[in-house]
Amino acid sequence: MNLSRMIVVARKELTDGLRDKRAIYTILFSTLFGPLFVAFMFNQLAGNERAAQEIKVPVVGKTNGPILVNWLEQQPGVEVVDGPAHPEAAVRDRSVDFVLVIEKEFAEKFRDSRPAPVQVVSDSTRQLTGAKVKRLQTLLRRFSGEIGGLRLMARGVSPMIASALKVEDIEVASAAQRAATIFNFIPLFVIAAAFSTGMQIATDATAGERERLSLEPLLINPVPRWQLVGGKWLAAAIAALVGMAATLAITAYVLSRLSLEDLGVRFHLGLPECLFLFAALSPMALVAPALQVYLACFAKTFKEAQSYMAYLLLGAMMPGLLATFYPIADKAWMRPLPLLGQYVLATEFLGGKTPSALALIAAAVVALLVVALFLWLATRLFYSEKIIFGR
Amino acid sequence: MIRTQNLKKHFGSVLAVQDVSFSAADGTVTGLLGPNGAGKTTSLRMIYGLVKPDSGKIEVDGHDAVANPLAAQACLGVLPDQSGLYPRLTPREHIRYFANLQGITGDELERRMQTWLDLLDLKAMADRRVGGFSHGERTKVAMARALIHNPQNVVLDEPTNGLDVVSTRTVREVIRRLKGENRCVLFSSHVMQEVSALCDRIVVIARGRVVAEGTAEELLATTGKTSLEDAFVTLVGPQGEAA
Repeated sequence: MNLSRMIVVARKELTDGLRDKRAIYTILFSTLFGPLFVAFMFNQLAGNERAAQEIKVPVVGKTNGPILVNWLEQQPGVEVVDGPAHPEAAVRDRSVDFVLVIEKEFAEKFRDSRPAPVQVVSDSTRQLTGAKVKRLQTLLRRFSGEIGGLRLMARGVSPMIASALKVEDIEVASAAQRAATIFNFIPLFVIAAAFSTGMQIATDATAGERERLSLEPLLINPVPRWQLVGGKWLAAAIAALVGMAATLAITAYVLSRLSLEDLGVRFHLGLPECLFLFAALSPMALVAPALQVYLACFAKTFKEAQSYMAYLLLGAMMPGLLATFYPIADKAWMRPLPLLGQYVLATEFLGGKTPSALALIAAAVVALLVVALFLWLATRLFYSEKIIFGR
Repeated sequence: MIRTQNLKKHFGSVLAVQDVSFSAADGTVTGLLGPNGAGKTTSLRMIYGLVKPDSGKIEVDGHDAVANPLAAQACLGVLPDQSGLYPRLTPREHIRYFANLQGITGDELERRMQTWLDLLDLKAMADRRVGGFSHGERTKVAMARALIHNPQNVVLDEPTNGLDVVSTRTVREVIRRLKGENRCVLFSSHVMQEVSALCDRIVVIARGRVVAEGTAEELLATTGKTSLEDAFVTLVGPQGEAA
């Protein structure tokens, strides 16, 4: 089988495509967006962790309860500062995250062993400060518990009696686990890159060709039409593979610059990990352009084709997006399906299990069959007089 | 040598070509003359294998163009009614692309490229992107790209349509040159003057049928008119929108 004509077509489409500014911007945007987004998420997470461990507590009425103020100051990572004059207004206009108010009758009630009033002023709609407020409330409960215990002991009663429950908090969404959900964004963006980097070339080589009326002269050449379609697909697939590899490489680089160990993340995205993810996900860089070439044939103009492409991209990202909310259940029926199969393989790998070579090969074979199917369908369209001449 | 026999083609309920038979010989310029919508472009598209006839036969240098379009296409050079260029490529790249698709590469390609760039006066702009080219320049690029493989049979669909005087002249020179090289040139037009200036034989098409065929003198003799224009109007009938 002589594939030289297919390569001639692919070379032309790549030359032509890379001179298209729209294509360059799309490639740059789609390869950079994912890594930067993942980096941003990790930074936010790290920032929140640090912020919750070290809190600054603005206190109004320090002199009303020096015993509480002293106790707070002795806690690690806690700094007590003077609170604003109008606590509620200050929280509302976000000049402070929260305020602890020690009321006037604190000292008197504390002395009489009655509940001494304090107020925690905060805004629950501000999610980023939630961890800090929670830390303060835990501290206050501990202070209350310690003093209460001391008081019971002074009266000859065991403090145990006052605790009907022994509640132990086991936080499942630890920083490390939340970091793992961020890792699940990586296959999402790598697959999105497969769909978006080849997209411009796939549409320009088909719908664009129809729009410019250049399909007719092209088809007059004595070249089997499947080779023309194959060449167009090959050009888009090369772009998609490069886009995918670039997205992975940039993500790995960005992550290496962040200190993920502080978050308790043990997974390291090094070269072997990148190669594995590339092997698992690269069949999508062949499937995506085949789908795009086929769909774009139906469009009379480049613009029309792009609207189809947007839906296709959204559809491709859907399983990945859902997976970041609900972990992908590894159902047997998902593995052989293109797209879902690739997500499952990648998620499994990021979760610490290495799928077998057989699983990788099986998923790749199915993907290649899908490529063949759509290229065959697209070739049939290249025989349609409606597609060649229809405007 | 191009030969068609009883070609018929309909699109939906419209019968575009009813019965077209003619032949175009080597070393001859054959003109397909007819009003707009007569079926000229559809007939040509059947010859170069992009439209499948409902019935009828087409032969290009002995190859059955219906059963084996690739073999027929290999002996054809075609300038369709739209130049259909890629705005981001240069003339040189256009020519190289089609030459490579025809299997021509290397020194042979470079040599032919020079010849055509010279012949069509495209040298100065050979490495500029065609995006900003005029209609005449675009037609010349499309022509060079269609003829780079030295096809024995050349089909030109209204090649001089909308061209200025200088470009028209260049196109005519190329057609005469091809004739001189004993090629078979088939070109369509709805312009009388164009056909009479260039053609050895004229095939008149109207409403999807060949209504007359012959040299200009023969057409005048059959219709009994003194000018080709009158002969044309007589042949295509009152419904024809003669140019």
